Amino acid sequence: MNPTDTTEHEEIIRTEDLGKIYEENGIPVHALRGVTTIVHKGDFLVIAGPSGSGKTTLLNLIGALDRPSRGKVFFEGRDLSKKSKSELASIRLHRLGFIFQAYNLIPVLTALENVEFTMMLLGVSEAERRKQAMATLQELGIDELVHKRPNEMSGGQQQRVAIARAIVTRPAVVLADEPTANLDSTTGASLLDLMERMNKDKNITFVFSSHDPQVIQRGRRLILLHDGTIKSEQSRTR
Amino acid sequence: MIFKLAWRNIWRNKRRSVVVMTSVAVGVIATLLMDTLSRGMIYQMLYNQIGSHVAHLQIHRQGFRDNPIIQNNIPDAAVVERAVSSTPGISHYSSRILTYGLLSSAAASSGVFLIGIDPDQEGQITTIKGSLAAGTYLSGGPNEAVIGQSLAEKLGVGLGDRVVGMASALDGHVGSDVFRIVGLYETLSSEFDKSFIYIARDNAQEMLGVGDLVSEFAIRINDISQLHTIQDRLLEELGEEYEVFTYPEILPFLVLQIDLYEQSMIIFYAIIGIALIFGIINTMLMSVFERIREFGVLKAVGMKDRRLLMMIVLEAFLLGIIGTGIGFIVGYLIYLPLARTGLDLSMFSESLRSWGVGAIIYPVLTWNVIANALLIIPIFAVLGALYPAFRAGRLQPMAAIRYV
Ligand SMILES: Nc1ncnc2c1ncn2[C@@H]1O[C@H](COP(=O)(O)OP(=O)(O)O)[C@@H](O)[C@H]1O
Ligand SMILES: [Mg+2]
Repeated sequence: MNPTDTTEHEEIIRTEDLGKIYEENGIPVHALRGVTTIVHKGDFLVIAGPSGSGKTTLLNLIGALDRPSRGKVFFEGRDLSKKSKSELASIRLHRLGFIFQAYNLIPVLTALENVEFTMMLLGVSEAERRKQAMATLQELGIDELVHKRPNEMSGGQQQRVAIARAIVTRPAVVLADEPTANLDSTTGASLLDLMERMNKDKNITFVFSSHDPQVIQRGRRLILLHDGTIKSEQSRTR
Repeated sequence: MIFKLAWRNIWRNKRRSVVVMTSVAVGVIATLLMDTLSRGMIYQMLYNQIGSHVAHLQIHRQGFRDNPIIQNNIPDAAVVERAVSSTPGISHYSSRILTYGLLSSAAASSGVFLIGIDPDQEGQITTIKGSLAAGTYLSGGPNEAVIGQSLAEKLGVGLGDRVVGMASALDGHVGSDVFRIVGLYETLSSEFDKSFIYIARDNAQEMLGVGDLVSEFAIRINDISQLHTIQDRLLEELGEEYEVFTYPEILPFLVLQIDLYEQSMIIFYAIIGIALIFGIINTMLMSVFERIREFGVLKAVGMKDRRLLMMIVLEAFLLGIIGTGIGFIVGYLIYLPLARTGLDLSMFSESLRSWGVGAIIYPVLTWNVIANALLIIPIFAVLGALYPAFRAGRLQPMAAIRYV
């Protein structure tokens, strides 16, 4: 399989004419104005664009965190507009992983417990989830953090634990909203290395939103948003 | 893991949690002491009445209770004695003759209950013998009387003085006799002391012209839970000619008061609970608002609203149950010595005496009290958490994550 050859790949997410209008103090804000695109299995996709261009909004819609004002999101063929709140939560739990810009982790839980948390929600037995969480932390080279709480970790370490939490449930796709924005560039780079490795070795699909050039450069597919519409879309081979 | 989360969450803001738990604990201590003491007071009223006169069961001729005249006497004392001694569970009895009469000194007179007793029998079922403030108990000698201290004051007499007792005799004439006051008693009820006077049973029988007839048998039993069984058994043995009453039937007002008390205590608990609810709502709202972002992440990774709600309610429940536990333990440690020594309220003793309560109140801890103290407050804590938890449940994950 050649993961860069997106056209021949299985589709995970498809959006059709996606629009989102927020209301702020009674004034409508058009955050997205008709976005049609596809996320394929194995993608390492970056949604780029200036601040306010709608990156987070798009990520939230394809991540079943919010509902569009118009258009549709199909997740693994299922029309998300037809799903209830709790069905959406269930899709997020079973099929998606999330990494946010900051404050990803539950402060009262240790790294290990944070990684176990989603598996707990899935109903995995205690012994099994401990085993898998440990394995994932080891794989990411952060097993020394096991018993640390988030406030005892650096920002980069926290983001690594967040990656572990996102991938431990073997989701169809991991959505990462500006994951490097709060990190210095060296830390950011090593975080990207890690995700790239997970993408290549384990064929985990990643979708980023970022305006960090470092991230944009690493993307194998790039969607450039401007003012809520796709300005350009490109795939590159390395 | 939800429990672990909830548990750790309540210790995130230690000071706030400690404040809430302390107020819960204080509420529990207050209710516990209030409840055990007032219960003690009411039970004391009841036990005083049982102890000083009523006993556990009374046997009379059918109709005596409605019309306690001398003509309504026990048809055959021997039959009753046989029934009583053949019924298991009865510890002692006393047969009495009793009528309404008048007691006069040179200075004044007062309406009284004249009670003719066998001093030994009576000594085993009531506390009069032990309540003597001055003088001696009836020795069995002729024309002795033991009266209440309050009555003595009212009549202006003292030990050794003579008084005249008068009452309507069996044949309709007025019977009378002169008695020498040999003892003055004082119970916890001043009303009682003013109206009950004790004389020897044969003295009374002679004065009233009733031969060896008696009016009632007062009975003490070993085990209160057998009260109704024994009543039924006696009724069956004695038949239609007799009536057998239990102390709740004889003292309906006091028993009703206990029922009313139970109900008013529930209101009292509810008031404490409602006061605490606002503390809990306030605390939980604060803690929910501080964690909006975190809840957003929890929801984003797929935690269902119901589970989040459960977690928050569990946090409040833990606060409530810990506070209750501490309050209960401290309350119990205060209760223990009080139960032994009693709470001395002698500064209010005059008004307490008119209620038939002693100056020293012994708190009474029952399973009811324990259940109320341990259950009601945590339930209110959960109620108080519902609204904040519901608010957290309704948050949109995305809006929550954006929230700063
Ligand atoms: N919850 C919201 N309420 C109102 N306006 C919003 C909300 N979220 C985003 N917006 C607006 O929508 C536009 C796109 O926002 P966003 O998707 O966050 O952009 P980006 O992530 O590219 O910076 C911005 O103008 C932003 O102010
Ligand atoms: Mg953004």
